[in-house]
Amino acid sequence: MKAILTDVTKCIGCLECVEACKEYNHLEVDVPRNWHRTDGLSAKNWTSILRKPENHYVRKQCRHCLEPACVSACPVGALEKTASGAVIYHGEKCIGCRYCMIACPYGIPRYDWESPVPYIRKCNLCFDKIRNGQKPACIEACPTQATIFGDRNELLTEAHRRIEAEPGKYIDRVYGEHEVGGTSVLYISDIDLGFLTYPVRKNTKPLPETTSTAMHAVPFAFTGMGALMGGIYWICKRREQLKQEKQQAKEDES
Amino acid sequence: MKKVTAFKSVLWTILGLALAAGVTRMIFGLGAITNQSDTTPWGLWKGFNVIPGIALAAGGFVVTAIIYVMRKHEYYRYAKIAVLMAFLGYLSAATALVVELGLPWMVWHPVVYWQHHSALFEVAWCVMLYLVVLFLEFVPVPLEETSRFAGVRRFLHKYKLILVVLGIMISTLHQSSLGTLFLITPEKLHPLWYTNLLPVLFFVSAIAVGPLMVILGVLTISAVYEKPLEREKLGKLALFSVGVLAVYALIRFIGLVAEGKLATMFVSSWQTLFFWIETALFVIIPILFLAVKQLRVSKAGLWVATISAVIGIGFNRANIAGIMLVRTGEIYIPTIFEIFISLGIISAAVLVFLFCVERFKMWETKWTDPRDRETAPPEFDRSSEAWLGSPRISHRFTFSFILIISLAFGFALISNERIHSEGIKEVPVKAARGGDTLYVDGNHDTFGVYFAHEDHIQREGKKESCVICHHMNLPMDESSPCSACHGNMYTEFDAFRHDWHSSPAGGNVGCMECHPEDQPRLAETAQSCEHCHKDLIPAGAEIEVDDYMAPSYTDAMHGVCVPCHETRAKQKEELKDLALCTSCHGFDHPEYLNKEIEMAFRDTSFNHVVLPFVGDLDKNREDMDD
Repeated sequence: MKAILTDVTKCIGCLECVEACKEYNHLEVDVPRNWHRTDGLSAKNWTSILRKPENHYVRKQCRHCLEPACVSACPVGALEKTASGAVIYHGEKCIGCRYCMIACPYGIPRYDWESPVPYIRKCNLCFDKIRNGQKPACIEACPTQATIFGDRNELLTEAHRRIEAEPGKYIDRVYGEHEVGGTSVLYISDIDLGFLTYPVRKNTKPLPETTSTAMHAVPFAFTGMGALMGGIYWICKRREQLKQEKQQAKEDES
Repeated sequence: MKKVTAFKSVLWTILGLALAAGVTRMIFGLGAITNQSDTTPWGLWKGFNVIPGIALAAGGFVVTAIIYVMRKHEYYRYAKIAVLMAFLGYLSAATALVVELGLPWMVWHPVVYWQHHSALFEVAWCVMLYLVVLFLEFVPVPLEETSRFAGVRRFLHKYKLILVVLGIMISTLHQSSLGTLFLITPEKLHPLWYTNLLPVLFFVSAIAVGPLMVILGVLTISAVYEKPLEREKLGKLALFSVGVLAVYALIRFIGLVAEGKLATMFVSSWQTLFFWIETALFVIIPILFLAVKQLRVSKAGLWVATISAVIGIGFNRANIAGIMLVRTGEIYIPTIFEIFISLGIISAAVLVFLFCVERFKMWETKWTDPRDRETAPPEFDRSSEAWLGSPRISHRFTFSFILIISLAFGFALISNERIHSEGIKEVPVKAARGGDTLYVDGNHDTFGVYFAHEDHIQREGKKESCVICHHMNLPMDESSPCSACHGNMYTEFDAFRHDWHSSPAGGNVGCMECHPEDQPRLAETAQSCEHCHKDLIPAGAEIEVDDYMAPSYTDAMHGVCVPCHETRAKQKEELKDLALCTSCHGFDHPEYLNKEIEMAFRDTSFNHVVLPFVGDLDKNREDMDD
């Protein structure tokens, strides 16, 4: 499974990756609109650089979770986690419910709000490139190798090697190794990257597991409720019958 | 019947406004009408119409369960009303969903593309199936009016119980699955609302509010049409809800205690306040008002309890589906048009409800068959030209007039900015400052570039080299600053001042002088500037000049510097770092400047250029801030 490792200490914030992404994916010029928010991601910007104090630059993009919440949330299977690691989007299936945007723990999927025929927009890890053994456009563009592409396990080893090689330089944590069950976009950093997700998660359980218990109960709830209603009906009917019989008996007596 | 007409007029007005907003949304997209954004992808329609709407339509399955399964035939009168309210509730929720979906014409996709891990997939299927069930449950009512389709009607009556039980089974699933929807957002939903019990809570609260909503419907009919009210019976039905409400409160309380959130309930915050408002409206007030016999059978008591419960459950669902969902600091306030559509859908449902109450036999407890009537009276008496049958739609003219006026008013309210957004904000540019070394920072945010002006002049060949960068001056001007034409930081700038050229100060230039007679008057077909301003662009200028649009300031600066730097970098191995962004923007990154760029500069003859500024970087910035 392929992955990206971004080393925040190496990023110089030159925005070459952003530009390469726009160029490769044929994204239009991003005209700021009322509905745009400040993290720089939008329907036409699939990756952005967040400028943090003291010359820290953090690239934001889809994390390509190993067990993505968006994929499990989508009611029509328009999102798909491929074997290559990329989470890709099938616009032809999408109905535009935006449940994936609700579900994503990183707030990544964006919407074509201005379009009358809108689609979900997000990084697809340049799926057609990596399928042919190439690197994603952003990786090719990076002048400082701050963001690199490769096999996920190898990148994890490399990340840990870098952290161990220069003790004290990095926070001793590979972001994306365990959170929400692991992601295919990893970060090592000398500043805390908690701002990339919603308030810090303590558990590292994949999000799809939160709904699976309830979803597994569905067939049982369905048949159970049917049986229960049948039972209640039978009891009520029987009670009525007995009452009638009693009345009949009383009338017969009198 | 003045009261009814006034009430309906208000509903038609809202409907007209909603239609205007709805048409605009369909033509120009969601962004034109809503304040929903990437941080609040679900807005008023999901949080007010769809999710609370389905809970409020639960009366259909709860009341039919009481009547047909538990065989409490004394409530038979309310069966038709409950089914109609549920049918309209689901239809209005479905309508809101269609408006809300980005691609509404794809709404049938869950039928074809299965994804059984998704709670929403399950809800979609259930709602579609339940709409069919509700239709079959309700359709005998209008069929009562005609002697046709009697076979269909009898068939549906015969298998009523199956339909009812099917409806209950389907409702169990989707009422709870609506809660499951939000289980996937543990880090977004406020802890007072997030619990693994959400599906159970959604289901139980729907059962509780269902009968109360039906009672509210009955109260409304009796108030609007002055029908007698069976308060004892309604009170008894409400008592059922009290029991379920108590169960709901118990489950919720135990859940909060078990998850160790007892303290959160008393933290002083607006979320806690909302929690208590919701609990008071949905649980405390209804239980208080309905547990006491005197209040339960009083009109006022029923009104207060049902309205409170209905608002309470709506508030609960809105909290979960929106208000408490995203805590990013972004505040979502729906636009007036979103509110129009929300209320408009409800208005339409109420109008259809009133129509059905007026037109069909909603109050009769016994089903009638037109063929059973001994002599059905003719509907239209030809001799007197009067309608004798059931009442026709009244006030057709008034309501059409109101609808058209409010529709027009609705369209008039929608501004251009609303549809096309406010667009790019202009960031005016100021000229660079400095002497031999210029500080190039158009928008003065201190993220600028130190440009060794004098050094470049010396190195590139004295005076003759000016044209490499200075490709033109404004007429009558010796040295125009770049910002004169590239006046906006991020967008293309209209460099040609049309109105000024045609003014007396601009020489009263007529149209024909620039625009050829036989061609359309477009910028593309107009004469170039040099046509009049012969010496505008110096001979040998290396930068191409667009005649009427100037690139943005940042684009222009990069366009001037980057090509030269890239050429030089290719020419000499030791200059290869000139192509790096840091060769100019290095002062943002002293660490790179020191290691790499310094070496590049050292190897060449211009090592005195940028370096002096590096040491005093912070001081320089402070100076700029002053």
